[in-house]
Amino acid sequence: MSDAEPTPEPTEEVLLLQAQKRRNLWLAWALVAFVVIVGLTTALRIQDTDFGSGDRLYFSGYLDEAAVEAKSRKSREAAESAVMLPSPEAEEADDDG
Amino acid sequence: MLNDMPLNAAPRTPARASDYVQLLKPRIMMLVVFTALAGLIAAQGMTGQVVHPFMAFVVILAVSLGSGAAGAINMWYDADIDAVMTRTSTRPIPSGAVPREEALALGLIMSAVSVLLIWMAANTLAAFLLALSIAYYGWFYTMVLKRRTAQNIVIGGAAGAFPPVIGWAAVTGTAPLDAWLLFALIFFWTPPHFWALSLVAHKEYEKAGVPMLPVTSGAKATRLQILLYTLSLIPVGLAPVFTGLGGAIYLVTTLGLTAVFLYFAVQVFRSRAGDADMADAERRLAMQMFAFSILYLFGLFAALIVELGFAMYWPIGA
Repeated sequence: MSDAEPTPEPTEEVLLLQAQKRRNLWLAWALVAFVVIVGLTTALRIQDTDFGSGDRLYFSGYLDEAAVEAKSRKSREAAESAVMLPSPEAEEADDDG
Repeated sequence: MLNDMPLNAAPRTPARASDYVQLLKPRIMMLVVFTALAGLIAAQGMTGQVVHPFMAFVVILAVSLGSGAAGAINMWYDADIDAVMTRTSTRPIPSGAVPREEALALGLIMSAVSVLLIWMAANTLAAFLLALSIAYYGWFYTMVLKRRTAQNIVIGGAAGAFPPVIGWAAVTGTAPLDAWLLFALIFFWTPPHFWALSLVAHKEYEKAGVPMLPVTSGAKATRLQILLYTLSLIPVGLAPVFTGLGGAIYLVTTLGLTAVFLYFAVQVFRSRAGDADMADAERRLAMQMFAFSILYLFGLFAALIVELGFAMYWPIGA
């Protein structure tokens, strides 16, 4: 009758290697999470720009007419409010005066 | 020099995930995340500007990563004194679980990642403030103040006070007075919070050569300073009510919590907490004040979150 061989205790080197593998796995997942977060953040930021108009997530190579019109209207309004340009009616009134 | 002491003399044990979590000082991180969230919600409630929920998530994630990074850098630099103090001797570096240089690498990489993320998700000001707060804690407090002056906690307290300003700046791109009032709340709260603990642990700090106030000026002077800083929390805690940031819920909360905090400060002032012959009850009193101070800060910021995040804001005097 013979007793079963006792399982040898893993050496310190083996334990350290296992720990290193676990750490590498965590690092890999952290990198994946970083890539996903950066990707989603970029996509959401792009949606806020002209590139993201027309329900498209990414720039598809052109701006549609509505987006071009909206952009030029916004620029015009911004310029007008910044310098407070006199309206044509006001200019006419000045000429009359 | 303590910094010249050999580290990692303890036999190397395989690090577990929990060791790395400990390296990031998770309890401080919780407070940082909570106050940053309060700043973010308060900014939305006060200005009407709304950030995308995912962007808000990334901002909070970046702030927590930044806090963890500063914690890891702090543990890297302070490993020598952590090894001397019983309370901190089981931390990952002195216990031999994490190599010192690994903690530094983790801290530096996480710092860069956190600033990059908040810059992408929010704006330059928020990124600048996060970078500033990491440098303030990881370099200015840890490497310059902590071992040189008894005012380490007072000046260094600013590091922990940045998160609500960062949260606010992430929404609006600005840092107005209201945001700095939240900063002041944490700034003036920090000294009584830490000194209450140091009254109990001053022998440890003395052993490690850290010039905490009870070590340099004695327990009596520390108890007086605790009382004075707690008194300063009365106007600082009430200031948001006068600017309109805090409403009725905040007012009731700040009055109640400040009264209890002041009660503890007076009791500690009248006790012999920190003296060589302090009784067990006095040691417990100092620890109770330390524990309550955490509840105090959570309570005030929770009141702001409830008011401005859940549309329960009732203005005072309107």
